[in-house]
Amino acid sequence: MSITHRIPISRGSHVSVAVGDDVHPDQELARRRTPLDPQIVPVAAPLRRRPEVAAGLLLRPPGSFVEAGEPIAQASDGRQVLSPLAGLLLAYSRTDGNAIISPLGPEEPILAHVSGRVSGVDATAIVIDVPGAALDGVGGTGEAVHGELVISVDDPGEELRATAIDVGSTGKIVVGGSRASAETLTRARAMGVAGIVLGGVLDKELRDFEAIQRRRREVGGLSGSFGLLLVEGFGKVGLDAGLFAWFERHTGHMASLFGSQHRLYVYDAAPPPTRRSMPRLGDRVVAHRRPIQGRGGELVGFVEGMHMTASGIPARTALVRFEDGRTIPVPVANLEAIESTEAGSGD
Amino acid sequence: MMSVGSELALLVDVGSAWTKGTLIARVRGAWRIVGHHAQPTGWGDSELIARLASALRPSADPRLGRDLERLIAAAPRIECHTSVRPARLALAAVSREVSGAAARRAAESAGWLVVESASPDDGRALTDRLVALQAAEVDAWLIAGGFESGRSDQALEMAALVAAARGNRGGPVIWAGSSQLNHDVAGLFELGAVTPVANPRPSPERDDPAPLRACLEELLSRTVEPESARHLSPVGFRRALSQLSRETELRIMGIDLGMRFATVVLADGRGEAESRVFARGGLTASTLTAPGGPSRVTRGMAEPIDEQTVADTLQNISARPATLPQTEDDLAVLQAAARHQLASVVSDDLRAEGIDLLVGAGRVIAAAPRPAMAAQMLIDGVRPVGVTALAIDGGALLGPLGSLDDGEIGEGMAALREDLLVPLGTAVICRDGRAGHVAMRVTLHRSGWPSVGPIEVRSGQLQIVPLGAGQFAEMELDLEEGASLGAARRSRRAWAEVTGGAVGVILDARGTPASLPRRAEDRRAVLSAWRDAMLREPPQPAPRAR
Repeated sequence: MSITHRIPISRGSHVSVAVGDDVHPDQELARRRTPLDPQIVPVAAPLRRRPEVAAGLLLRPPGSFVEAGEPIAQASDGRQVLSPLAGLLLAYSRTDGNAIISPLGPEEPILAHVSGRVSGVDATAIVIDVPGAALDGVGGTGEAVHGELVISVDDPGEELRATAIDVGSTGKIVVGGSRASAETLTRARAMGVAGIVLGGVLDKELRDFEAIQRRRREVGGLSGSFGLLLVEGFGKVGLDAGLFAWFERHTGHMASLFGSQHRLYVYDAAPPPTRRSMPRLGDRVVAHRRPIQGRGGELVGFVEGMHMTASGIPARTALVRFEDGRTIPVPVANLEAIESTEAGSGD
Repeated sequence: MMSVGSELALLVDVGSAWTKGTLIARVRGAWRIVGHHAQPTGWGDSELIARLASALRPSADPRLGRDLERLIAAAPRIECHTSVRPARLALAAVSREVSGAAARRAAESAGWLVVESASPDDGRALTDRLVALQAAEVDAWLIAGGFESGRSDQALEMAALVAAARGNRGGPVIWAGSSQLNHDVAGLFELGAVTPVANPRPSPERDDPAPLRACLEELLSRTVEPESARHLSPVGFRRALSQLSRETELRIMGIDLGMRFATVVLADGRGEAESRVFARGGLTASTLTAPGGPSRVTRGMAEPIDEQTVADTLQNISARPATLPQTEDDLAVLQAAARHQLASVVSDDLRAEGIDLLVGAGRVIAAAPRPAMAAQMLIDGVRPVGVTALAIDGGALLGPLGSLDDGEIGEGMAALREDLLVPLGTAVICRDGRAGHVAMRVTLHRSGWPSVGPIEVRSGQLQIVPLGAGQFAEMELDLEEGASLGAARRSRRAWAEVTGGAVGVILDARGTPASLPRRAEDRRAVLSAWRDAMLREPPQPAPRAR
């Protein structure tokens, strides 16, 4: 199976791949030149004209790209102003008669971060078919990263501790459990971990971590990329046991994580257990709201008619036998059925 | 009972998270609601019909048996829906706080999502602004800035920045700045790309966002589902309230607070209605989960729930909007978020003063477990100063009815008049009372019943007087020094007719906005007292006078 991955490209990027090309995560797909600090280019003075008059003598409108040595303004007496540099003509001031040109910096690569085959290229994006399985989360942060998948907890409900991160995790995508503190996340990043997958995380821990990263970036002490994917929800929420087993089966596989897009690709993998709303009798389900958020069980019945939740909202309600043996009524809207897509390794 | 020959129709409002279906039938010559069901939108049509049939079965003619589902599926259907995705806009303005804020407000209230904004005072270097605009994936570009009296160089620079970022990617460009620059700005883009609009900030003293908003609304209708604009929920909601206002000659404010969108409509009593559609004004708004959001929501809560839990709950609501609050605490967070969002979408130019009727829609308000909760969200969030009847769109009928053809809306609403809105009662809200002093004295007179009052309401107090649905009373109101019902008046005494409802008459002297103590425990104590006053079971009314 394959999934479609879209990489947006900004204006002025030079694409170096074509439809049909095979790409790998470290491969450069395109190069872009980021605008640098703009330079002021006198226009009115060299033309011996007043600034407002010189505005009418511009040969290229602001917003366009100009080459070094290209005439950007010309007076009727033949006087010309040549652009001293290649770049984007960003503005012309009618007050001081100067133009602003922003040179383009050195070319920077746009990496694939995924393995696959290019299936489309246009002015706005490169589209790649990725041979693997995709897992969508509900939250995340950070850049696109890739690395080998490793598991650093023994149980899907276990918290990922800072001590579980060691040099062996460097460059890997670490699957944790029910949460990780800001300290753990900071340590993971410092150890060169590429990314972390968690069942849940406290909003505050995530914010603290992001604040630490921001400060480090400001003082220039941050290198490398890091991504975080949140699968189940915010708070202390374990990974579903079936999903955890899927991760266990794919330990050692390469994966690409897109934190800000809440997405993970695992290569050469069978699809992860899928989720379906509106579960049916006998389905394995996971609950999504407190006080049973993230817990799995079996749907063993439906309550006749509408049942009043503790919040006072009447809702269609199912009876779920959870893994701890208790049977609890849960609004059906708060349940998702988990459908296992394969029993074997999927390799 | 619904019989074999009953005429049926199905009204459906497909929201971004929840779908509401209401079955109506002609019963003894009149159209009435016979069934209502709400479910996550992802569950689909057949489940909605099955649930409606299941709810209807006990009261339907037994001969209909299993045919009920078929009958409902075949019934005429009146449907509205939320747009599949919001339209995205990049904004470049001369100043973040002046032209930028005015343009952003106009764009957001027209239903656009501003995904990137740039201005010279945004704290970024010029090149960073350029890079951010280059990376933005948008449906349109908006450039704003410069007063009418001059030619702003900075406005031209921002236009050039957009030209540089946009390149050949296309997308319409709206120029909302000094008309003296129309020609210059148009010259930066290909022919026909730029639409000049009247300056929303023509001078430092004057705001005129209406033309820009109208232009953006028109562009939105062309960008998102151009063929079905009338069936978009915000449009249907506005048309229905406009019709209701025309029929009743009431000045009506309606707010539909959904998970993604929020729509505010103000109808003037003659059928003219203005609306604002906030693409990120609903309960999954990023402002609720962004830094500072959970703190603001927590400050408005009576329940002792810590900010961290509130933040996690708001994030979970945003991540899974089709789920339900399962605990009282989760419900409290959701309703506090609703009050916060209501306050944020009621803008200065659609003021909730002097309105006769305030209508709440959207599941969080209209399907609140108790009517008093719906009333509290409305009065705490909107703060409608004056004497205002409150109602909810309990059947989610307004959107679908508003999507009918022009000639049919009035007929449809008239046919369902009995069930159209669920009356909550009347709010009497005064402001500017002196702290600790009596702000208003209220006496309710009902023909054939003993008068109630005078009831003294002190500044900062909230009281409920029971008055049932369908009941009316003459209210005699004495305002004390300093207190006001909004409009300037000579006399301190006022008379008004108030209508009852599931809550009654709410006498509210808490001010606008309601003032709260700084200390968290004191604040919670005050908020608890107000909540308890709203939710307390009303005492039995005095026996009828003989």
